[in-house]
Amino acid sequence: MALFSRTTRQTIIKIDEFFDNIDLGILVFREGIRSYVKGDYESFHRHLSKVDALENNADKLQREIENEMITHSILPQHREEVTRLIDEMDEIMDGIKSSLHEFDIELPEIPESLFENIISLAETSANAAEELIPAARAYFRAPHTVREKLLKVYYFESETDKISFSIKKRVFHEMKELDLAHKAHLRYIVHHIENISDLAQAAADMLSIMAVKVIL
Amino acid sequence: MILFFLTSGLFLGWSLGANDASNVFGSAVGAKMVSFRKAAIIASVFVILGAVIQGAGTSGTLGKLGAVNAIGGSFTVALAAAITVYVMTKFSLPVSTTQAIVGAIIGWNLFTGNSTDTSTLSKIVATWVTGPILGALFAIPLYILISRIKRRARIHMIQFESYIKTGLVVVGAFGAYSLGANNIANVMGVFVPAFDLSEMNLGILSLSSAQQLFLLGGLAIAAGILTYSKKVMETVGSNIVNLTAEVALVTVLAQSLVLFVFSSTSLSNLLVKIGLPPIPMVPVSSSQVIVGCVIGIGLYKGARNINFKILGEIAAGWVATPVIAGLTSFFSLFIVRNIFNIDVGRKISESVETVQTPERAFDISQVMKYIILVIIIIGIVISLYYYMLERKKNREFRKSEERFWKYIK
Repeated sequence: MALFSRTTRQTIIKIDEFFDNIDLGILVFREGIRSYVKGDYESFHRHLSKVDALENNADKLQREIENEMITHSILPQHREEVTRLIDEMDEIMDGIKSSLHEFDIELPEIPESLFENIISLAETSANAAEELIPAARAYFRAPHTVREKLLKVYYFESETDKISFSIKKRVFHEMKELDLAHKAHLRYIVHHIENISDLAQAAADMLSIMAVKVIL
Repeated sequence: MILFFLTSGLFLGWSLGANDASNVFGSAVGAKMVSFRKAAIIASVFVILGAVIQGAGTSGTLGKLGAVNAIGGSFTVALAAAITVYVMTKFSLPVSTTQAIVGAIIGWNLFTGNSTDTSTLSKIVATWVTGPILGALFAIPLYILISRIKRRARIHMIQFESYIKTGLVVVGAFGAYSLGANNIANVMGVFVPAFDLSEMNLGILSLSSAQQLFLLGGLAIAAGILTYSKKVMETVGSNIVNLTAEVALVTVLAQSLVLFVFSSTSLSNLLVKIGLPPIPMVPVSSSQVIVGCVIGIGLYKGARNINFKILGEIAAGWVATPVIAGLTSFFSLFIVRNIFNIDVGRKISESVETVQTPERAFDISQVMKYIILVIIIIGIVISLYYYMLERKKNREFRKSEERFWKYIK
């Protein structure tokens, strides 16, 4: 019987651990971008390998959670949605990993005048993803508070868009000294950082509907 | 021959198990919260326990309505009820075994010239109406309580669901017990006055004549659950899948309480002791009570689109089913007595109390002893088999997971 088995408790711990992983990944992403922009490559590589390990662990946890939910028939009525939410959140982790790897492989040259803008973009984008975590945790304990928590995700996502537009505009309108390839590369990098908040928004949209379904 | 006469009752029991077990475990199995195997085993065991331990109360009431005093009569009355249930189900008309058997007994009374005890009849009919209402009255406070606990305790959804899952198993077991206790009268009630079996001593407990019949009826209900209720449970589950897990728990609990209240002689005696009127021991329709529970919760939640058609159909069933069963019973008794020349019973004042010879009764008790032994052995073997199968499956799954992660590394 579910009450007397440890599976339920283990699944709860694994879900919490999964969220911790994503939370840490976002933190490392923020620090990683900062290190790269500031030219501290040693620290950047340390963050990169940390993200790799976190992403691996998140994948493993995701698989274990899905397995347990199916084999022990946990949350049969919401299982599909919960696994999709976990999948969406894992996408954020994948986005973080691929974004940092883009920096490592392509070594984009960031003009000094854009240092603060790029750091601020990474900060805001990471904030959007970070605000998703308490909302996702609340879904399991207090679903009626989820929507108010998600407001911050939408706020930071729109802020990220604004910063990204302003950087792109500066690069293409004001920085005449950069050639087109360099400008395109910068736009590509900005898009990658911005993508984290877009992924958070997609997960937030889903979470919001899930919460309504649970409350009603 | 005596065992042949029981077949109509056993068939009625089988169909009751196939249909009514879904009221107890349907939502849990349909929502995949409890596996059918687990539900069927629990329901079967507890239905038998409820029937044997607590089935006497409701059977006594049916006996008061009409003490069918010949085996041929009992067979025909049960058959008439079974035919009514079958035909009405075939034409998708709402039907309840409880109402059919009451109608069939009244048919027997009319045929044999016995008068129908109007006070018992009015008690029975009043219970049909109060059953669903009581279900709603039980369901509303239970629902309020469970929703408040959920909101205030801030329990993790998975933890809460696991409590609900356990609750569904426990409440389902209680529901199955109450179903057995309350509805066994529908299956075996008409046979009780006509049979007089010798007491069966099983070492730790002894079973009276009525209890042996209830055990047989319980086994028939269990057979219905194990062989035919899966489809019904899955259909019920998918039909009410929009009910949340806690609503499912509350409806099953409220329904079980209603069935328990109308079949517990000790509870009735307790009320009498404290100066309150006794509770009538009457078989009630579990399907109708569960509709009452769902409507009660719906009204509490402010639902405005209550389907009055369903309520109308239930009310029509209170009249139509006994009338049809009564007519079927009357004509069947006429055919059985005049064409097959079988004794179907006489007026109570003239009747001989039993038509059994002690030898025959003793034979059935002996056969029953062996049946019980065989069932216990089969139960143990099946449980062991499934336990081993489950262990093997888990071991293989664990190994495949380990291989997967080894490969990934």
